Amino acid sequence: MFAHIFKYRMKCLLKDKETMFWTLLFPLALGIFFNLAFSGIGKGETFQTIPVAVVDNEEYRNDTVFQTILQEVSSGEDPLFHLHVVSEQVASKMLEDNQISGYFVAGSPVTMVVKTTGMRQSIIRSFLDTYIQNMSLVSTVMQKNPKALKALTDDLFHTVSYLKEVSATDAKPDNVASYYYVLIAMACFYGGFQGSRDISDIQANNTDTAARLNLTPVSKMKTFLVYMSASLLIHYIKMLLLLSFLVFVIKVNFGGKVGFILLTTLLGSIAGLSFGAFVSALLKKSEGIKIAVIVGTSMLMSFLAGMMYQGMKYIIQRNVPVLSYLNPLNLLTDAYYSLYYYDTYTRYAVNMGCLALFIPVFCIGTYLIVRRRKYASL
Amino acid sequence: MVINVKNLVKRYGDLVALDHLSFQVKEGEIFGLLGPNGSGKTTAINCILSLLEYERGDIEIFGKPMTPDAYDIKRQIGIVMQNVAVYTELTVYENIDYFCGLYVPDKALRKKLVQEAIEFTGLNDFSRFYPKKLSGGLLRRLNIACGIAHKPKLIFMDEPTVAIDPQSRNRILDGIMELNRQGATVVYTSHYMEEVEQICSRIMILDKGKAIALGTKEQLKDMITLGEKITVEAFSITDEQIQSLKSIPNVLSVHYSGNLLVIQSGKGRNNLEAVLDFIKKEGIQFGKIYSELPTLNDVFLEITGKELRD
Ligand SMILES: Nc1ncnc2c1ncn2[C@@H]1O[C@H](COP(=O)(O)OP(=O)(O)O)[C@@H](O)[C@H]1O
Ligand SMILES: [Mg+2]
Repeated sequence: MFAHIFKYRMKCLLKDKETMFWTLLFPLALGIFFNLAFSGIGKGETFQTIPVAVVDNEEYRNDTVFQTILQEVSSGEDPLFHLHVVSEQVASKMLEDNQISGYFVAGSPVTMVVKTTGMRQSIIRSFLDTYIQNMSLVSTVMQKNPKALKALTDDLFHTVSYLKEVSATDAKPDNVASYYYVLIAMACFYGGFQGSRDISDIQANNTDTAARLNLTPVSKMKTFLVYMSASLLIHYIKMLLLLSFLVFVIKVNFGGKVGFILLTTLLGSIAGLSFGAFVSALLKKSEGIKIAVIVGTSMLMSFLAGMMYQGMKYIIQRNVPVLSYLNPLNLLTDAYYSLYYYDTYTRYAVNMGCLALFIPVFCIGTYLIVRRRKYASL
Repeated sequence: MVINVKNLVKRYGDLVALDHLSFQVKEGEIFGLLGPNGSGKTTAINCILSLLEYERGDIEIFGKPMTPDAYDIKRQIGIVMQNVAVYTELTVYENIDYFCGLYVPDKALRKKLVQEAIEFTGLNDFSRFYPKKLSGGLLRRLNIACGIAHKPKLIFMDEPTVAIDPQSRNRILDGIMELNRQGATVVYTSHYMEEVEQICSRIMILDKGKAIALGTKEQLKDMITLGEKITVEAFSITDEQIQSLKSIPNVLSVHYSGNLLVIQSGKGRNNLEAVLDFIKKEGIQFGKIYSELPTLNDVFLEITGKELRD
């Protein structure tokens, strides 16, 4: 029975043009549009030195390589950083007060702390990435040939000048990636269309085919679960297609944690589907109204997560922090973001955990509405 | 007894859609629910099938109480709903196979059943078509095929012939009688009295959620005082002649307008011969003459004071 229902459900969903448009073509088109728009970003802006701090601890004092390099990039004409060497407390306070854009904590490896995202934070990140990449190589060379330090700083300067150029000219700086993170999060939530269709197709007061299904000897809940499984499979595949498009065609940098990226996308797809199912079960209205509500809510959530204007995300984080946790789409965006920007998984785990909490809320809500067996009217 | 409905009451807000409806459907009959649009036919069927909540009443099918999860009962029921309920993304064959598969898990048996349903509804040439490509009549037939492919013992058909061409309609009516001959009990709703007269063994007439009459068509017609109605296309009739016609025994009324003379007799005695004699004797010029027995419309008219047709 499962196979029978599943097979025909897949056929229906694959031919459902409207859902296909919203869940795949529309996000693809937006991706292309972003790409066009961002290729002009930053034009005419001049580069400004970034205020940063480094924590003055034991490790830092012993890490002469890192010291030297930080000093190198913080001096001279038009330096990359304006460096403060302070205690961890002070650094954290300065970050809080926006006196610095981020700070480094020496150690192996060196880590960084930033409060928000943006162009400056991307530059700090790239600096650190380059440093860490070269680190192992350099430290071995250094012992044999102290002059190798010159080579490392040259390399870093290379990167730095490239970064400055990037931020001042027309290439894609990495913080543009954040826009694409919102984009894929939004696409995951557009899975709501499929969740909604699954509800419409089993609720007798929604569609005629659902009324017919309710008269067959197969329980509505069972059919619904099969429908949701088919939807999840299809939606997840679509999201992987979109992800591949962003990564391989538009060359958005999602970082290297492939397993986690796939997991995040899966959780996002489930959240999107259950969100749509919940909205659909709640509304009982015509298909048009449901779609309008799903598109509207997803758009609003995307906007608050920084889809149209990145600053929005930080305005909310600063002023109504609770809202960033109540916005599942923001949590999903931030999960992608923290996979890319952070070495540790704390922020990622918080995002995923909060997002995962929404799913049972949507599912139980849906169940409570759908489980009623008879209808007051059709 | 296949269906037993006792004191069924259903409201939509303030509207009483079904008002203490009670009736029984016996095995092997084609039971007709006749009533104008909005009289409660669809509501009655959906309550019987446990799709709709109702305020009160007892419903038994095959001797067992009907509930939403009475899957043993549901397995033996086939439903052709008023609205065409098929998936636009599936072909004719796939639609029938999908719904049939919810009743019949066995693949080989199902293949045979689906093929039979396609032949039965004459959809052979269209089995690979998508619903969008089908005409109204063909869609109705697909709707029927989806409802009956699993060979149910009890079939509900809610206005299966609404808004289709006469050819498809006759085919569908013949089909229903064939299903009945093969052993299915059928509950058939319609607001076309001709159809109900043609195929139903017993008829319940509904108006505003109330059963106003129940019986075979002969029994229903027997309930009313009217008998034969004679219509004569006649040119120039005088008032005296009308008075003389009225004095024929058992004639209830005589109307003359627009060259049509209508003579309505009471139940029992027929007057065609007497009227013809009178016309001949008076030398009245006439065209067509025809005589009709009372219809279910007359039954409806006499009981409710309004026409069945809108
Ligand atoms: N979902 C509904 N909400 C409110 N009133 C309804 C609903 N469905 C039907 N009705 C009303 O109930 C009455 C019976 O309708 P219905 O059962 O569809 O009649 P029929 O099938 O005989 O045309 C009508 O007056 C109709 O307007
Ligand atoms: Mg109806």
